Amino acid sequence: MKQALYAGLILGLVPFQVTALNYAGIVGVRPDLALIATFLIGFLSGGIEGLLMGVLLGCVQDLFSAGSLWVNLITKGLIGILAGLLGRHLANATPVTVCAFLFVLSVLSGSMTAVWIRAEDNLTVVPHIIQSVVLPQALFDATLGAVIYWLMPGRRRREAEFGDDMALFGR
Amino acid sequence: MLRALSGTTRFILLLLALLLSVIFLLPKQTRSVLQTVGQPISAVVFLPIEALTTLEQSVIGLWQEYVALRHVREDNRQLRRDLEVLQRQNSELRESAIAAQRLESLLEFKEQFVPHTVAARVMGRDSTNWYSSVILDKGDRDGIRPEMGVMTSAGIVGRVVKTGPFSSIVLLVTDPHNAITGIIQRSRDEGIVEGTSQGRARIKYLPLLANIRVGDIVVTSGLTGGFPRGIVIGNVLTMQKEEGELFQSAEIAPQADLSKLEEVLIITVPRSLEAQSDVKSK
Repeated sequence: MKQALYAGLILGLVPFQVTALNYAGIVGVRPDLALIATFLIGFLSGGIEGLLMGVLLGCVQDLFSAGSLWVNLITKGLIGILAGLLGRHLANATPVTVCAFLFVLSVLSGSMTAVWIRAEDNLTVVPHIIQSVVLPQALFDATLGAVIYWLMPGRRRREAEFGDDMALFGR
Repeated sequence: MLRALSGTTRFILLLLALLLSVIFLLPKQTRSVLQTVGQPISAVVFLPIEALTTLEQSVIGLWQEYVALRHVREDNRQLRRDLEVLQRQNSELRESAIAAQRLESLLEFKEQFVPHTVAARVMGRDSTNWYSSVILDKGDRDGIRPEMGVMTSAGIVGRVVKTGPFSSIVLLVTDPHNAITGIIQRSRDEGIVEGTSQGRARIKYLPLLANIRVGDIVVTSGLTGGFPRGIVIGNVLTMQKEEGELFQSAEIAPQADLSKLEEVLIITVPRSLEAQSDVKSK
């Protein structure tokens, strides 16, 4: 089941992002679905799955972008690992914490990309691009990611388990 | 910390570290390897893109037909009025067309310059927010190669930067990473046209004494890239001439509507036949 879901994400997520998601853009900025998916997979299923899915989704994303062929491959892979570490060390995750982590990771990934693009073309003004692309996209990613997390059945199961554990300790 | 990880995890992390090292140490070689590996992936992922685009077009078509039906009576009256005007214009245009045909054959215009083009459909936009690019449904198998120019009947669109077996990525003229040579059509002053972060274009490095006016048409110079000479880029909106600077620049509004691209032409042979024959004779 999980493998089918992952295959569906690899084949369907980037095509959805390059076609239908164009209508969801605000001031020309769209959410990065590959980043959100990588974060949630890493957060809920562990760093290794997050890393592998991040690398695969990033690779497909790079194929359909005008940029270098490995920038998203690296950044998404790192997000998968970091999300796995966060998921492992956080006992009770809520949509609000997911929103906060996703915002920070999206800003981190965006800033890395901005610095790399600047190194490649020597034209990009990093502070301007952070203000006009990185921050709006991070807000978009964080909000959408938190909503998806809130709707996910796996999250409910995780919270229910957490509730039972607390009941064992007399809460 | 590494001891706490399982064997598989350690192996995967080692692989990632190796991949990172190779990418940073051998960027050019890695690019070609990734390009080769990416070809089949790109071909497979392009199928859902094609399906989604077809679905999107159907939904748009259905919606537009529905909206049109709501105002059909009013439209009908308007169309009848337009028809009368168009019939008159049609007869005038026929006369002009005959005259144009005659002049065309006289000047042997067709033999002087016919750029070879391939028509392509726009399937989607860049998968990230970093670049202004579009994805086309023609790729390697249709003879499309990086650096080929892309245009519409209104003007230039951009240039091909990446190709897959069935698709290609076109960096739009409004992207700051794009640069092509252009000339002001009226004054013949030459400069470099680059995209701006505001989604427009700017012609830079124009001589300080260049006579430029708002509304001037900027065309391709044909000196670099995959464009022949004389294709419209856009119109001058504003000029910037700063004190102490050696050059002046001007903001351009691209003539092709880059936000509503549906079909484009990829220029496969940029140089005119005349230019080719000149080279051969030399």
